[in-house]
Amino acid sequence: MKPSEIKKLLIDSLSTDNDPAEAARQLQDAGLSYDFSREFSARVTDKLFSASSAVIRHVEFVRSMNYAFSRIALTGAAAIVLLLISIFIMEGSFSLNSILGLSDSIDESIICLLTGN
Amino acid sequence: MMESYRQTGDNELIKASIEGDRLAFEEIVNRYQKMVARTVKGMLGDSAFAEDIGQEVFIKLYYSLSEFRGEAKLSTYIQKIAINLTLNEIKRRKRFFSMFSQKGDDEVYKYDIPDEDNEVKRDASEIVNKALMSLDPKFRIIVAMRMLHGYSTRETAYILDLPLGTVLSRLSRAQEQLKGILEKL
Repeated sequence: MKPSEIKKLLIDSLSTDNDPAEAARQLQDAGLSYDFSREFSARVTDKLFSASSAVIRHVEFVRSMNYAFSRIALTGAAAIVLLLISIFIMEGSFSLNSILGLSDSIDESIICLLTGN
Repeated sequence: MMESYRQTGDNELIKASIEGDRLAFEEIVNRYQKMVARTVKGMLGDSAFAEDIGQEVFIKLYYSLSEFRGEAKLSTYIQKIAINLTLNEIKRRKRFFSMFSQKGDDEVYKYDIPDEDNEVKRDASEIVNKALMSLDPKFRIIVAMRMLHGYSTRETAYILDLPLGTVLSRLSRAQEQLKGILEKL
């Protein structure tokens, strides 16, 4: 199709008297075509489904961390309670020294060591 | 597996895609990518950037498939997404160019129209692209819908959510503008 014919077709295609579908078909026959690259659909689905799997991996990681944390936290809390009970039984109080495992005589020993008396 | 989806209807493809079937969605992309390319490249010109917008159209479609009620055809639904994203891109470019260019808004999109005696081979695609890019964006979409897709004025009005009278008046003004542009090409 000559450029002048294409131009006429373009003008005519906008006229409400003409069938737009027919004009569009004629333009396609004249070589008017729009296409994306050959890998277009693969690129789209790669983006979508690799993004989905990344989200799933992230959710799985957070879920695993939560599970591990709850197990560790419960075990840790149980260990702390047992330790406090044993300290109370051994030392008879919850003072800082008893929790740290220090006796009053140790304070005096430290003073002796530092002052040399 | 891919072959089996070629005969499958849109509704089945949508259901399968929502369930995470990659091949079903790939078939939707294959089925409608030419239509999206016509809209996006017709409005933005033939560039790699238009391809990015095309990808965005299908990504947006995928995430909104569960909202698709089937009241309109899937092609119309995709077309609306393509038009919205393309118009957003045109607005974004307009803002960008208005910040960095001294050109007026109407000049932003205009192609450099070659001299009449320029001996460049002009095929249908080149003429149409240059004509479309030289049109005012609000006319360009109307013209692209009609010229590239063959939509009637009623269909164009429905897709663009515009009153029929507006489409008709823009079509008439676009025709006048196009005549002037084509005379220089």
